[in-house]
Amino acid sequence: MPEEANDKSLNDPTGLWRQWYDTSSRVWSNVVDGEKETYVDPYGVYQSRLQNMGEAREQMKANFFGMMDPKEAWQRWFDGMIEEWRSAAQMGADPLGLTTHMLEMIEEARAKMQAEGNFPADPFTLFKQWYDATNEAWAKAIGEVIGTEKFMEGVSRFIESYTSFHRTFRRASEEYFRNLQLPTRSDVARVAELVIALEEKVERIEDAFEDFEDGYAHLATSETVAGLAEQLERVESKAVEGLAKRLDHVESKLDKVLATLKKIEAKEQAESSKPTNTERRKAAKKNANPQSESIENEAERGGSHG
Amino acid sequence: MVKENTIPSVSDLESALKKYRTGMQIILEGAKAETGQTPKEVIWTKNKAKLYRYEPLVEKRYPVPILLVYALINRPYVLDLMPGNSLVEYLVRQGFDVYMLDWGIPGDEDKNLSFEHYVLDYIPRAVKKMLKASHAEEYTLVGYCMGGTMSAMYAALFPSKPLRNLMLVTSPIDFTPDEMGLYGVWTSAKYFNPDLIVEAFGNVPGELIDTGNRLVKPITNYVGSYVTMWDRIMHDKPMDTWLAMNKWVNDGVPFPGEAFRQWIRDFYQQNKLVKGEIKLRGRRVDLANITCPVLNIAGKKDHICTLPQAEATMRLISSQDKEFFVLDAGHVGLLTGSEAKKDLWPKIRSWLELRSE
Repeated sequence: MPEEANDKSLNDPTGLWRQWYDTSSRVWSNVVDGEKETYVDPYGVYQSRLQNMGEAREQMKANFFGMMDPKEAWQRWFDGMIEEWRSAAQMGADPLGLTTHMLEMIEEARAKMQAEGNFPADPFTLFKQWYDATNEAWAKAIGEVIGTEKFMEGVSRFIESYTSFHRTFRRASEEYFRNLQLPTRSDVARVAELVIALEEKVERIEDAFEDFEDGYAHLATSETVAGLAEQLERVESKAVEGLAKRLDHVESKLDKVLATLKKIEAKEQAESSKPTNTERRKAAKKNANPQSESIENEAERGGSHG
Repeated sequence: MVKENTIPSVSDLESALKKYRTGMQIILEGAKAETGQTPKEVIWTKNKAKLYRYEPLVEKRYPVPILLVYALINRPYVLDLMPGNSLVEYLVRQGFDVYMLDWGIPGDEDKNLSFEHYVLDYIPRAVKKMLKASHAEEYTLVGYCMGGTMSAMYAALFPSKPLRNLMLVTSPIDFTPDEMGLYGVWTSAKYFNPDLIVEAFGNVPGELIDTGNRLVKPITNYVGSYVTMWDRIMHDKPMDTWLAMNKWVNDGVPFPGEAFRQWIRDFYQQNKLVKGEIKLRGRRVDLANITCPVLNIAGKKDHICTLPQAEATMRLISSQDKEFFVLDAGHVGLLTGSEAKKDLWPKIRSWLELRSE
């Protein structure tokens, strides 16, 4: 590019764009050298737009105040757009079908605006009309794409790889600053957690005080404590007295039970002490011959000792 | 602006350049707006959370205070957007005693906070503090979005006094995949594993949540919103509301990791709330326990909490006094803007005033 043109293009975005396009296209061509037949020009889609913009600029230079005929500008703009999107569709790089949608939409908008015959001259009104004419169709097209499972599969893969990268980067940064003996975000967060836990404890104490203040709870004074002690004493004395009485009752009942038991025992003993037939016979004998009894007894005693 | 077939003057060009600069500044630096301006004081704090009491602007008319609970992923100003366009300001002006539980912005140290903490620790204590500050015995609980889901869980666990009324605003309860639109596909267990995100980030970044929400309506959010912006700038229309709403949708806070894991797994993927299978510290959350008056509000165009997701509440609760109020609005537009002022706010006031004596 001649030096003069080069200088001019510094103030001209389309010139810069064209330069960038030329340079990067050459780079791409070199990269894919040998496969020229299958090579898809990545920037070719913008070529027609640049050409149209350049022509429009030339026309503006020639007739600045009168500007270009809006109808013609519109026509040219639509032609450029349609050509761009058609090229993009032909390149086949449209897995989500957006290019085809866009192409249909532009043609529809052109037909609509041509039918209305309203071709504004200022760029903003022109853009707004374009937006008003196309936004619904465009929103529908985008909505159909981003609501598909295919789109979500791509998003899912992106999230997976991005979060993985972010995790790794974060871990590495933490490690790096730790090695430098510098506090990291997680160190600061840990300290903040301690402060929050402390605040929570203070708040609980504050809550307890407020409960007293609000009458949900009452503070114990020396009077209330003394009153409580007195009450406790009264309760105690009453309880002890009552307990003693009940114990007396229980004791007297126990005495009765014991007396009954003794009676039963005595009766049983009395019954067990009644003489057997042999004893009765012996007693009868004794009554008849008291000497023989004493002889027998003597014999028994001697036997037991000897 | 350059007029068709006329010679633009220098001032025209200057004006066009100025407008262009304004627009580009918003695009590059983000929308800046003064939000959350209703006067308030902080009456209690816990960790990052704060309980606000809004200063009365008129004499208090109703003895039953209102506690507002919004989503963990939002900022408190979503309910107090800007003067003249704020639900909080409106309620305060009607004579209600209004409180709001601000969740704050979680840090790395909060990644283990779960719904157990929020529903069983934060909300009950906030309620206690509010009742004390308000000298009230009963209160109305108002939950917005996920804050509504949490409020419903809280109401199911603590259904009796002091809870007087429950109001749910675009609060998802039923997470049947077919009823959730794009979220049904996006959060499917087949493609989305919340553990990956939580293990990588700890807390889920607010930008990630915002992006997900914007992608539900990508053309509207990424293009349409800026078309509106340029239109307003170019035609010298007021920008305040646009700026505030744009700030809202781009200003999400991180989602505490453990709560996010529960939100996706237990709610979106397993729909446990409707089945009565959610347990918080061993306590089963049964929405049938809710018997207080309930006003359930939803938006026809809401893509974040779809109509059937909110409507399910009506068949699950036991309240005799219950109403499902549907507006022709989206998730954000429902709370703010002219439609909200015309339909929603008066509805809330009239419903509350009958139940706040």
